[in-house]
Amino acid sequence: MIGFPTPAAYRSRPLRRSCLVSAILIPALAGAAACARPANLDLSLDRPTDHLLFRVQVASGSQPIPLSKVHQWSLHLAAADGRPVTGAAVGIDGGMPEHGHGLPTAPRAEPAGTPGDYVIKGMKFSMTGWWVLKLDVAAPDGRHDKITFNLVL
Amino acid sequence: MTWWKLGAALAALVAIGTQDRTPIWSPDELEVFRTLSIDGLGPPPADPSNRVADDPAAAALGRALFSEARLSSNGRISCASCHRPENGFTDAVPTGHGVATGTRRTMPVAQAVYSPWQFWDGRADSLWAQALGPVENPLEHNFTRMEVARVLGTRYRGQYEQLFGPLPDLSDARRFPRRAAPAGDKHARNAWAGMAAADRHTIDRIYANFGKTIAAFERTLPVRPTRLDRYVAGVTGKGPPAPFAPAEAAGLKLFIGKGRCVSCHSGPMLSNQGFANTGVSERGGLPADSGRADGARKAIADPFNCKGAFSDAKGGGCDELEYLVVGDPRQVRAFKVPSLRGVARRAPYMHSGQLRSLEQVIDHYNRAPAAPRGTSELKPLHLTRRERAELVAFLRTLDDAEGAGHAR
Repeated sequence: MIGFPTPAAYRSRPLRRSCLVSAILIPALAGAAACARPANLDLSLDRPTDHLLFRVQVASGSQPIPLSKVHQWSLHLAAADGRPVTGAAVGIDGGMPEHGHGLPTAPRAEPAGTPGDYVIKGMKFSMTGWWVLKLDVAAPDGRHDKITFNLVL
Repeated sequence: MTWWKLGAALAALVAIGTQDRTPIWSPDELEVFRTLSIDGLGPPPADPSNRVADDPAAAALGRALFSEARLSSNGRISCASCHRPENGFTDAVPTGHGVATGTRRTMPVAQAVYSPWQFWDGRADSLWAQALGPVENPLEHNFTRMEVARVLGTRYRGQYEQLFGPLPDLSDARRFPRRAAPAGDKHARNAWAGMAAADRHTIDRIYANFGKTIAAFERTLPVRPTRLDRYVAGVTGKGPPAPFAPAEAAGLKLFIGKGRCVSCHSGPMLSNQGFANTGVSERGGLPADSGRADGARKAIADPFNCKGAFSDAKGGGCDELEYLVVGDPRQVRAFKVPSLRGVARRAPYMHSGQLRSLEQVIDHYNRAPAAPRGTSELKPLHLTRRERAELVAFLRTLDDAEGAGHAR
């Protein structure tokens, strides 16, 4: 189950820096390439991308998010002015920062047939806890940006 | 005070101390317990790649073939030789003993029915694809698919043909050599390479059908309730009280809390059916084992996978294979998260039987040693000696030997 968004935003770039600092300062964690869950995770699933080029909204097709089962998510991609962006390539990565492992599947985003809408197929979460879902968005006009969503199952 | 009186007083104090540790469960904890109960298990997941998966006639043939020692080069090894029904469908040795000694720990069967991936490295994506591996493994049955087809023709023709249609005439030794397979010894490989492609396909089809009957049988094996299931039923008001000893209850609290066991050992099978590098050592004398990193590549290449020519899944139903992760360095030395049902009877532990006892297993997780290759997901747990003993006490409540089978 996804928790409620917290007021303090916790974006993808600070997240990566936090992991790196932990790995350097705490030798025990360096080997595990893992980092602890920040206290103020932004759990919003409707946010601008890192450089504010797009706005991305994602949602699980099954609620609550199922554990250990392949399922689909929906994705809506819009430009900063709110117009839907169709024909983008969306790369998907992610994992559990606290455990140092990736997603258990390799999901793919496909056009859903309506402007700005995509379906992410092959999503799966194998454990409860903090997951990150990293999207790499490349629009047909060449603009490119990234976003990291946080999920707590 | 005499020594025995002092001893009795001390024992009473220990008992009181232990009693005091009996947890009073919070609503959140009770909710976690419910997710672990066998009541949430349901029937085995559908297998669209096997059209006879739930056919009783296929299960009956599979049951006979599971114990058929003619399916081995020395006539003495069957599936049941290592997957012993009386031993939780596994054996009691570090690595399986077939025609020779294998490299991996024998896995239990009933629990495997609920997993999308088979073998410690998940190189098979169905029960039936799994069943085909050991038969041709030179260390296990050391048999060939051609010989399997012959055994089916001579011993099980009626049952087979009722399910899958007529078996071909295999009497022409030039077309169908006595012993032939794409893997195994050189003689068998050469014989296989010399066969016509259509004849190889015919034999592959029979071999796949053989595996599908084994899978149909395995799907009938009961997953039995444990003391944990009865305890959860009691504390959640679904059944009569079935108390745990204080140490067992304390162990359960650690299992879902400080021990973090439930992170991976979750759900009714006490496994998330995933793969994890837990820093288990390489077993001396065995070839290097990269676990899931190799298993994922093998699953993609397996002609008997869900998307292959012998699968009955048409137009979908192969999501796990379709979205399989391949080539992720984090898969190196990741091995299957096994079900913990019946774990106390399944020593030794880990994928090559590296740890002799549950005590050693808990000690391993507590210390969280670095992985010999890849990166371990574990972190030290800082469990006290008493907490480690409590976790072991809890794991012993997962014995599935008592009581009736779970209805299918």
